[in-house]
Amino acid sequence: MKYRRSEEMSPPPAVPVTDVAITRFEHVYEVAPELMTEHVLQQEFPNWDTLRLVHSRADHLAWMHRHFAHTVVSGEELLHELDG
Amino acid sequence: MPDADKRFAEEWRDAAYNCFSSGHKFCREVCPVMQVTRNESWSPTAFHANVVAMEKGELEISDVAADYVNCTGCGACELRCPNSLFTGDFYRFRTRTVDLVKAARALAVSQDVHQDAWRRWNAETDERSHEPVTEAAGQERVRDWAEGLELAIGGETILFVDCEAAFHRTSVPRAVARMLNLAGYKFGLMNEQWCCGGPAAEMGYEEQARRFARHNLDDWRASGVRRVLVLDPHDYITFTEDYPKYFGDDYDIEIVLVVELLAELVREGRLTPHIPVERSVTYHDPCRLNKRKGVWREPRELLRAIPGLTFTDVDRVTQWSYCSGGGGGLPIEKPELTARISASRIDKAAELGVDTLVSACPWSERPLSEAGRARSIDVVDLFELLATSLGVAP
Amino acid sequence: MTVTALSDPVLGELRQILGDEHVLTGKADRLNRARVPAPFPVHRWAERLPDLVVMPGSTEEVAEVLKLANRLRVPVVPRDGGTGLTDGAVPLRGGILVDVKRLNHIKDLDLDNRTCTVGTGINALKLNERLAVHDLIYPDDPASYPCSLVGGRIGTSGWSLIGSRYGHTRDLVLSFDHVLPSGQVIHVGDGIGRKITKSSSGYQLKHLFMGHQGTLGIATEATLKLFPKPEAEFSPFWAFSDYADAYRCVGLLARAGVATFAGAVLFDEWKVAYLRRDDEAYIPQPSSVKALVCAALYGYADEVEAGGRRLMRIARDAGARYLGDEISQGDWAARHDRYATPLHGRTKSGQVAPMSWHCEDASINYTNLPSVRLAWHEIADRLRRESDVFDDWGMFAYTNGATGADYLTEIDIGIWEQRLDDRTWAAWVRAKRDLAAVALAHGGSISACHGSCREGEVDLVPQELGGGFEVMLQIKRALDPHNIMNPGKYLLDQAYGAPS
Repeated sequence: MKYRRSEEMSPPPAVPVTDVAITRFEHVYEVAPELMTEHVLQQEFPNWDTLRLVHSRADHLAWMHRHFAHTVVSGEELLHELDG
Repeated sequence: MPDADKRFAEEWRDAAYNCFSSGHKFCREVCPVMQVTRNESWSPTAFHANVVAMEKGELEISDVAADYVNCTGCGACELRCPNSLFTGDFYRFRTRTVDLVKAARALAVSQDVHQDAWRRWNAETDERSHEPVTEAAGQERVRDWAEGLELAIGGETILFVDCEAAFHRTSVPRAVARMLNLAGYKFGLMNEQWCCGGPAAEMGYEEQARRFARHNLDDWRASGVRRVLVLDPHDYITFTEDYPKYFGDDYDIEIVLVVELLAELVREGRLTPHIPVERSVTYHDPCRLNKRKGVWREPRELLRAIPGLTFTDVDRVTQWSYCSGGGGGLPIEKPELTARISASRIDKAAELGVDTLVSACPWSERPLSEAGRARSIDVVDLFELLATSLGVAP
Repeated sequence: MTVTALSDPVLGELRQILGDEHVLTGKADRLNRARVPAPFPVHRWAERLPDLVVMPGSTEEVAEVLKLANRLRVPVVPRDGGTGLTDGAVPLRGGILVDVKRLNHIKDLDLDNRTCTVGTGINALKLNERLAVHDLIYPDDPASYPCSLVGGRIGTSGWSLIGSRYGHTRDLVLSFDHVLPSGQVIHVGDGIGRKITKSSSGYQLKHLFMGHQGTLGIATEATLKLFPKPEAEFSPFWAFSDYADAYRCVGLLARAGVATFAGAVLFDEWKVAYLRRDDEAYIPQPSSVKALVCAALYGYADEVEAGGRRLMRIARDAGARYLGDEISQGDWAARHDRYATPLHGRTKSGQVAPMSWHCEDASINYTNLPSVRLAWHEIADRLRRESDVFDDWGMFAYTNGATGADYLTEIDIGIWEQRLDDRTWAAWVRAKRDLAAVALAHGGSISACHGSCREGEVDLVPQELGGGFEVMLQIKRALDPHNIMNPGKYLLDQAYGAPS
């Protein structure tokens, strides 16, 4: 992870997803920025920090599964059997 | 209430309220201080709630300055907080306990509320331009660790060595330098390196921190440095979070983490560990890499590349609640608390039946080594181990 | 800084019992133990301060503190995780706050009888990290799983997300050491046994000393029932185009009698709309998705697959659309620590506002879920019309048990506590009373998991319990003659002559 401030402070452009959400990084949603202009203002958020949280969340959720059970059964496979 | 308290409460009130209002406290059982003391006054939640209380006129910073000592800056709390982990990226608004603790400490110092050991430490750092990690620490000795390695001074890429490594854990920077030389990676040393200033900022001595940062950046500019290699996770935080805050758009230096660079060199085949190291190890995720930067893959990659090692891994999420106790100035002001935290970390390694705990953070290695002695567990640095396997032992 | 109404001799005695470092008198020490997640006007925070805090390290120390308090008639409030939603851990009359977090040791792990004995200051997630080494689990799983403590679970008689499979706290805690208001230490369980799971000997005192919200004493050491860590987990999520279909489906799933069934959850239209604000799983869902159902199964892989196949068929036949493995797995994993975050809040104009999450819960029979839902949303809607500090965050209904009789029914309301003034606070208390009244009018219970001793709801507890409330008063008076334990809660002052 090479750090350069200018790169970190330039997020990819926002693409609207719904009336209240946008996306900048693939599969990552953000609030429509105009909804955070009165009561809570957004923080300076370098790209590395966004991605750190996204990856940490995925790791945390995987950890939670392992914490409660050794394996996870796939519903898609069960459905395939039912339909098959 | 002093005006500075009011300004501080105003600046932090919304962030503090976000924590106060949720009352999740998911931080509590991952906080290293909380885990050993069980004292909720020293929890990340309390650090936020105190701000709300200051805003309501119930507290002044002098009432709580000593409470804010009880933090290693590990970042577990702010990462584990649902306001970060589940929605921080979505709202571009996350919990920032580490920054809050630094700000509260700075507010205390600005009002002449000092912690004795921190005041002494920072005064000595100011005198020596380096942290007084050993008797010898000082400007004239800052490159002693590199004796005999014939490293250049200056150049486009330099290796920055933190105080603990430069004066105490000297085998760590020696290992790094020898490995980079082996790979033919071109780098030099800084012209007149001072302490990065990060520890002063962590303890609340912000003016000093900025002065040191200014010196280092000016020195880099004067000698045409474009890229700084960093072996210490604490420096990495300082250079990628504090310096950008101090210098804004002017800050155009590229910062490279040595552990990532080495992993790349191994991946590319420019370095191939080949000498077996017969040890049974587990890895300690340094907080400032794992929790605060999400860097956990590369150190494991390097460990798995070393032949002979028996590596018992503990996953990085479990390690969110691990800490050496060595950060945030805690060992300076409350060494007994650091010792309890490092003993607890060593206990977890001991349960795995390993003989060695590998870290990748020089600042963790002193407290961990001390705790390790009691349990017959060696504490070594990842870079020392890798260099041994590459035949360039420090 | 020391500001305390308690006199120096009390302090001196407490320091003698506990050692100086475990008696805290600083204002921040007290402020930080006056707070739970349930909303309360910030400007009234100081009304709830304890006079001092003690952090005992043993049952004996707790007993000594209670003896002293009982002798001197000083109020005592026990505090465990402080994550409860009915103010059990909040001091209303000052006094000594007993913070049990230091009682967090594993005292005994009995692999042959499958039990462990722990201090009540331990957290279940941390306990399970230790039990995993032995491939065991203590499956008490509230939304506060990563932070609540065993003692608080006992004090509230907590509810578990996977309780339909493993039981709730009352089933999982076999017995415990309990310090009575007099300072006497007793051991309660089924009978007297520490590791006994069923006894018919004497009164069943265990239940009496669970869910009392600290009004009958303090649990200090508990023996817990352990299970094999499940080999497999299955957590399907399904989407529906209307609530009625989802409601029908959740009933079928819960009544199916699948042995590995650990619970099912029904999300209503308001909840789905709320999730579309910021939940990555639901932002991209088509607008036709109006309600959701999920289920969870735990056990050996072959059992879970067989049960899972059955539930998948039931759901498919009921018109459900499976949301896929990624959403199902990700969302379920987040349910173990699903506390709402403040930025979910929206003003009427749609702006993000920091709101505290409040979940009002009741136990409601399956057949009454649809009408309770409408009545509750009406109350939430009234609040929202009254002020922008309130926001309707939708409803969940969770199965309470394996047969599908009744559901933990919750409505989540965002409250902008920073702006909660006396007028809006009064509106909130009125709404709480109304929500509780709806639950009772539908044959339900005011609370499935939190307890019901907050302002508003507590007014209706005598109505819910009928003659049982008079028995509560008699028990309270008999066990705590001087009303030192958590005074002011559950209208128990009436036991000492306060007007009803």
